[in-house]
Amino acid sequence: MAQSSTARKLDDAPTIHEARKPAFGGGDPPQPPVRPNAPIASNVWLAVLMFLGAEAMFFAGLIGAFLVFRVGSQVWPPPFQPRLPTALTAVNTIILLASAVTMRLGLRANQRGERDRLIQRLSWTAVLGAIFLLIQGYEWLQLLHFGLTVSSSVYGSLFYTIIGFHAAHVLGALIWLVIVWSKARQGRYTQQHYVGLQTCAMYWVFVVALWPLLYGLVYLY
Amino acid sequence: MIKKIPVTLIAMGFTLLTKPAVTWACSVCFGDADDSITAGFNASVLFLMATPYTVMGFIAGGLIWAYRRTKRQRERMESAQSIAPLAWNQEDSGR
Repeated sequence: MAQSSTARKLDDAPTIHEARKPAFGGGDPPQPPVRPNAPIASNVWLAVLMFLGAEAMFFAGLIGAFLVFRVGSQVWPPPFQPRLPTALTAVNTIILLASAVTMRLGLRANQRGERDRLIQRLSWTAVLGAIFLLIQGYEWLQLLHFGLTVSSSVYGSLFYTIIGFHAAHVLGALIWLVIVWSKARQGRYTQQHYVGLQTCAMYWVFVVALWPLLYGLVYLY
Repeated sequence: MIKKIPVTLIAMGFTLLTKPAVTWACSVCFGDADDSITAGFNASVLFLMATPYTVMGFIAGGLIWAYRRTKRQRERMESAQSIAPLAWNQEDSGR
């Protein structure tokens, strides 16, 4: 009985449009505006945020292992090991940071409803990410040529593990970005509904923000 | 199952007391305090201790940002719809 009366009350509750209807013909004053019970973030956004937290912990483990060997070594890099190309990687760092800027500009273009600009800026982001990967691949070929391999020393192992995992993440982000770019071309994202674009941008910015830390530790420290 | 707990605890205590020190699992129970490898472990431990707080801080910051953004949007929406109560008040004003 109590349940049915509660249900009736809920059914009888005025909708937002009824509550806001002007009552010039008398009657009770209008009820206060009904607040829409919208969540603060979508489930996908929250899931990607948690995923990025797990990714950050994964890279923290790798950096922790690097610190043990780097701080524990008297001489770094170890003798008879090739030096890493810091200048070329600095240029590569700027390229990757620029890709985060173009991604941000793409998000802003979507918020303004400028679809063509969104597609253009996503294309630029993908191109910059691909250039970063190509330069890194070239670096790796050079280092392998100079004798730095995964099994040559702990220096090589750490370099290829940390930088390799980051490159794999950039590649994953690039694939995701290409999917988002194709969806943007189909007009799937609007000013109100763009969670796919937003989460891809979150992942991209995470991968980009991680790189200066890895560059500073592995290449410069 | 409950009856086995004291036996298990005794067995564990006996194992811990009788095993040789070389099998201890603590990874930093070797070397001098000034050793470079000890310094390396210390740096790594401090970094890994700080990381979860940093990650949780970022997640909390993201949630606060999302809450404030939703609140701003809600306020903007409500201010755009406040024309209806004004129309009702017009009758009271006698104009």
